[in-house]
This record gives sequence, C-alpha cells and structure tokens, in this order.
Amino acid sequence: MAGAAGGGRGCVTLCGAQIRDLLDAKHNVLFDCDGVIWNGETAVTGAPEVVSLLKQRGKRVFFVTNNCTRPRENYVQKFSRLGFTDVAEEEIFSSAYCSAAYLRDVARLQGKVYVIGCGGVLKELRDAGVPVAEEEDAEPGASIYNCPLDPDVKAVLVGYDENFTFMKLAKACCYLRSSECLFLATDPDPWHPLRGGRVTPGSGSLTAALETASSRKATVIGKPSRFMFDCISSQFGLDPAHSLMIGDRLETDVLFGSNCGLATVLTLTGVSTLQEAFAFRDSQEPQQKHCAPDYVVESVADILQALEE
Amino acid sequence: MAASKCTQLTAALSRQLLDSIDCVLFDCDGVIWRGDQAIPGAPEVISSLKKNGKRVFFVTNNSTKTRQMYADKLGKLGFDATADEVFGTVYCSAVYLKNVCKLDGKVYLIGSNAMRQELEDVGIRPVGVGPDPVSGVQKDWANVPLDKEVQAVLVSFDEHFSYMKLNRALQYLCNPDCQFVGTNTDTRLPLEGGKAVPGTGCLLRAVETAAQRQAQVVGKPSNFMFECVASQLGLDLERCLMVGDRLDTDIMLGSNCGLKTLLTLTGVSTVAEAEANQKSECPHQQKMKEVRRVL
Repeated sequence: MAGAAGGGRGCVTLCGAQIRDLLDAKHNVLFDCDGVIWNGETAVTGAPEVVSLLKQRGKRVFFVTNNCTRPRENYVQKFSRLGFTDVAEEEIFSSAYCSAAYLRDVARLQGKVYVIGCGGVLKELRDAGVPVAEEEDAEPGASIYNCPLDPDVKAVLVGYDENFTFMKLAKACCYLRSSECLFLATDPDPWHPLRGGRVTPGSGSLTAALETASSRKATVIGKPSRFMFDCISSQFGLDPAHSLMIGDRLETDVLFGSNCGLATVLTLTGVSTLQEAFAFRDSQEPQQKHCAPDYVVESVADILQALEE
Repeated sequence: MAASKCTQLTAALSRQLLDSIDCVLFDCDGVIWRGDQAIPGAPEVISSLKKNGKRVFFVTNNSTKTRQMYADKLGKLGFDATADEVFGTVYCSAVYLKNVCKLDGKVYLIGSNAMRQELEDVGIRPVGVGPDPVSGVQKDWANVPLDKEVQAVLVSFDEHFSYMKLNRALQYLCNPDCQFVGTNTDTRLPLEGGKAVPGTGCLLRAVETAAQRQAQVVGKPSNFMFECVASQLGLDLERCLMVGDRLDTDIMLGSNCGLKTLLTLTGVSTVAEAEANQKSECPHQQKMKEVRRVL
C-alpha cells in the first residue's frame, strides 16, 4: 500500500482509495469513543454516517472504551442521542463491563469484590451477578484507624471514583494484605480529557495510590491490556488479521491494537498528535515503537469520503 | 575510624566512634520509639550523649506533627529534648518552600492542621485544608475556581484526601509555573498501637500520576533534611553520625551527605539487606544497647 509520509514504517496518512483498500481487507472495525466518534456530548462530524455505512458494507463494528463511568445501557442512550442510529448494547465494550466479565468468567470469583468506583462499575457488576461489598458510610466508631472489614471480600477493583476518600484507600489496602485477594483496575488512564482541553484525574491516579499503599501491582483490564479484545473475541470470534483498531490515544488505543495483533489507525480529533506519533515511530525502544500507528487519518469522517466515492 | 562497611560495633569500636563525633541525628520511628512506646534504653542514650557533650537532633519523615507536637511526644516518653532539636518534614517543608522555592504567596495544601500551622509560622498562606467533598458534575471539576495567588502545590499526609482535592491539585499543576512539592514518599504511616495506614507517598503518587509531573521531595533520602539542620546549626559533616532503621531513607541520607551512618536493627531493615547493599550505601551496624553500655 502506497503511503504518503516519509521516514520509517508506520504513521502513514491515508486518504481515499487507500482507506478503501484497507477496509476491503478488514472484516471487523473497533472504535474507541472519546476523541474518535464523539467529544463530550458532540458527535465528531460524519461519525454516525461512518458507522452506518460500515455496517451496510457488511463490516462488524465494535466500540472499545476505557471510560468506566457508564453502564452499557447508558452508552446505548448516548449513541442514540448523538445521532448513531443502530448501535446495539452487545457491540459496546467498556472497561466497567469487561471488569465485571473478568471477575465472573476469568477469575470466577468466589466471594465479594470491594469496589473503589462509580455508578457505572457498580451497575455492570450487579448485572453480571458479581457480589459487591456494601459501603457502610456512617458506621459508628469507624475511622481511618479502625475500619470494619468484610470477611467475604476476595477481590479489590479500583477505577475512577469521584467519591474517593482516604478511608476507601485504607480499607482497600487492608483487603490487599491477603495475597489471595485479587487486585484489579478498570483502566490505566492517568487523566481524562474534558471539553476545552481541560483534564480531570483518571482511574490511573487512584490505582497508583493503591499500588503504592499495598506494594502490589494491579491487573489492568482496560486498554492497552489485551483483555477487552479477548472479551469481544470470546463472544464474537474475531480474527486479528482481519480487524482494525481506530483510536486517538497512542499509549492506550494504538498500543492495545498492537498488543492484539490488529492494524491500527490514529485519528487526530482527540488526545494524541501526529508529532507524538512520529516520535514513537522513531524511538529506539521496542515498547515505544508499538505505540506508533500503522496509519493516520485527520478524522473518522475521512472514511466516509472513501466509502462514498 | 576504619573505613570498613557494615561493621558490627563492639564496645571498643563504640568508644572510638563516639570520640570521633560531636553530633548525632536520630530517626524516630523504629529507632527511639515504636508507635507510642520508647525503645528500652533509648531515653538514657540521648541523655548520656548530651551529658558527654554531644549535640542531638531528631530527623523524621513523619508529616503529621509540628516541632512542638514532637517535643511534647518526646517529653511524654521520657526523652530529654526540645522543639528546636526536632526536624520533621512538616517543619522542613515550610522552610523549603520559603527558602528554596522562594515562595511569596499562597500554597494549595493537601495536608493537616499541623502542616498549615508550620506554613503560617514562616509567613506562607495555605489554602485547601480540611474536608473537601465532591459537588457538581464532571464538567464543573475542570472549572473549579483557582486562587490566582497560589504559587505551589504541597502534598503531605492528609486523612481528608479526596478526589476533589486530587482534582484541585491537578488543575493548579496544569500551570507549569506552579511548583510541586511533597513532604515525603513513605508508603505507610505508623500509628500508635502498632497499626499503620497508607502514607503520604500514596497521596503523592496519585497527584504525580494525574498531573504527569514529579514533585520535589523534602523528606529522607533527599539531602534537604540534613541541609536544614546544618544551615541552622553549623555542623561539621566529618563529626556527625546518622542513626536510623531504614537503609533506603536514613542510611541513604547519611551517606549522600557524607555522614557516618549507624543502622539499628530495632526497625525496618535487616542485616541481610545491609550486606546486600554493601556496594552502595553501607552502614556501621549496631544495636542501641551497645552504645549505651559504652556511655
């Protein structure tokens, strides 16, 4: 495939016929959400049409997001609200949904999970039938020096939590003293982008606190870890050679695609820049090179142009 | 004094060591006390050292107490000590912000009232102390009102640590001109009664991760703690001894500053670890009892 950019392999900017050729070879397209098909509450121009057209052309489309703040049914509503007409719940894979799936199907948890997380994670756990340790806020006599522990807890799951407190950190740390207690994190993102170039602390920062407190490393479910791909594959049977990952964050989406053997496309409507992509491509370190995308598009709307020509 | 490393101190060597020094710096947790109990013999060692004309200082990473609070604890446990002999990270961080960061305004503080007090005592105005629960929705958090006079973020031990505090610190630190200081990186804070809770190091890691920035750390093994003592009191490095229980903080600080170092086995580190570290930062090894007998 002829590419536009100079220099080494990768980071090839695609247009028109090149995109068509790429898509002809791929049966499955995986999209990240934030910064790729929408930004906040605004769809990226052309994104809804791209998703529809891909499906019309017989491609299977999946959405793979590290954002663990909503349960899947809320995502369905968001898709609909933003003009995506035919996205089904089964096509949406969030780190919250996959964390619950991991606890139920991979870890086969016997016991409860202590959660540092928000409503989205709790709902997915309940839907998956994974028992959650109750949070007793106003336990008389409880303080950070003396917190009551639930003997049935066999796992700790940490993710974005706007109600994070020192008490939760202390409690989770107590549970993690037992080497039999599993330690999971929804995703590694240190911060999340908000509108206007602003940021808010992400799951990764809370996980860092807990890893430091417990001297243990969390098993991370979200991208760039493979698990979300394995989760989709276990339900839909995906062949990596015929699958494409489209994302906006080099250290998560592109590295994820690379780790799973997928072709990767960086879109420039989100977090990472072309310059950052080139820097990864030209790095001497193998791990850094895996963050360089195979291809680059300005926006997913470029796919629209290719499909409509 | 022989330049050999990891030497077990005998009575004779102890006498030699004591003759070669004028000043002894003691770590506290695991060295002279454990929680709220003095280590047997430790108060007597301190008194004897002073009677023998040695100056004694206490250098601790614990970031929950002011100098006066330490002096009160020392007194209660039977130690002969005064507030100006104590150099905790709370006091040293205030000095650091004032003299090294040249702070002339406010600091956003994740910390306790003790930390606030020491800052106010050196003329720095802290904001943010106390509970800070979340309110509003996600898009409000990026727009929390920021105090324009804040020139630095300081992270120390804070039992009121919350997502909202982490968020505010992040918003201030998005400005590259805002300085970023942490009192210490200890992962656990030992408490009375032998328990422990997550330490300042955990809170600092959370803020560093969110902001993708590294803090300047005041506490051991950073040299600043010693520099703080030395600059106020005019010490001769060659005649100073650092006594601690942790190879990676106390002994490392001592070695980095060119002091003689003494590892006591009543705390965290072990003989095996000391010998494994032989190439990099080796202590003279001992138990406090030996020193006391010699005195």
